Amino acid sequence: MQTGSNDLFSLAERKLGWLEDRQRVLARNVANANTPNFQPSDERPFSAALSSFMVTPVQTNAMHLPGTDNDGGSVKVPGHERSPDGNRVSVEDEMTKVAETDNQQRLVTNIYSKYMAMFSTALGKG
Amino acid sequence: MDISKALDISSAGMEAQTSRLRVIAENLANQDTTGSKPGADPYRRKTVTFAEALDPAVGVSTVTVKRIGKDMSDFTMKYDPSHPAANAEGYVKMPNVNSFVELMDMREAEQSYSANLNVMQVTRSMLTRMIDMLK
Repeated sequence: MQTGSNDLFSLAERKLGWLEDRQRVLARNVANANTPNFQPSDERPFSAALSSFMVTPVQTNAMHLPGTDNDGGSVKVPGHERSPDGNRVSVEDEMTKVAETDNQQRLVTNIYSKYMAMFSTALGKG
Repeated sequence: MDISKALDISSAGMEAQTSRLRVIAENLANQDTTGSKPGADPYRRKTVTFAEALDPAVGVSTVTVKRIGKDMSDFTMKYDPSHPAANAEGYVKMPNVNSFVELMDMREAEQSYSANLNVMQVTRSMLTRMIDMLK
């Protein structure tokens, strides 16, 4: 087993963080499903997040307001639907993405647990 | 934790839809409310507008009811000379509430509410799984 900066633990940690962010972005889209002129956003693909060349704004002072727009990790994705009030959220699309995020998180947590079990076996505690 | 913010956003969405349902109920309950003096205006339909707003306590942008406005469309006139609110010609102004419009609004609010609830349930199971990783 290899334990470097790119091992499975740090990969799982980044993926879980990314999934959390995505879930937050999707929750925001669904909550604003009836807000006039609202454009849904989605998290940048995980492969882009992995390449760590992303520049994201950081709060350097607790007094700074976080701003209504999300951090640099998400991009606006106008859906193919458009209601008369200018809203571009398709609840069905968002639900599919939520289910996808849920499944991926299930996969990552399961892999993590299995990996931990392997460690326990190697240490003779399994 | 970031994922609890997703819960806050979903609950704000549900709250907004609930106040929308309350206004719809108000409109439906008052769809026959006329004035009491001759020529007086009857109940005017209320509308709800949502907006994205920053929740300073949580630090994320959620959804709020921006404004409860009034529908300025014309009232319908009904011929009823014996009514206390009838004008000189015997017509009574009836509220501009259309029960079909309200029903459709109600369906939409219900659908959006369950969508938010669904997201909240998924978020909760994600949170539970994260906690289970500690085992």
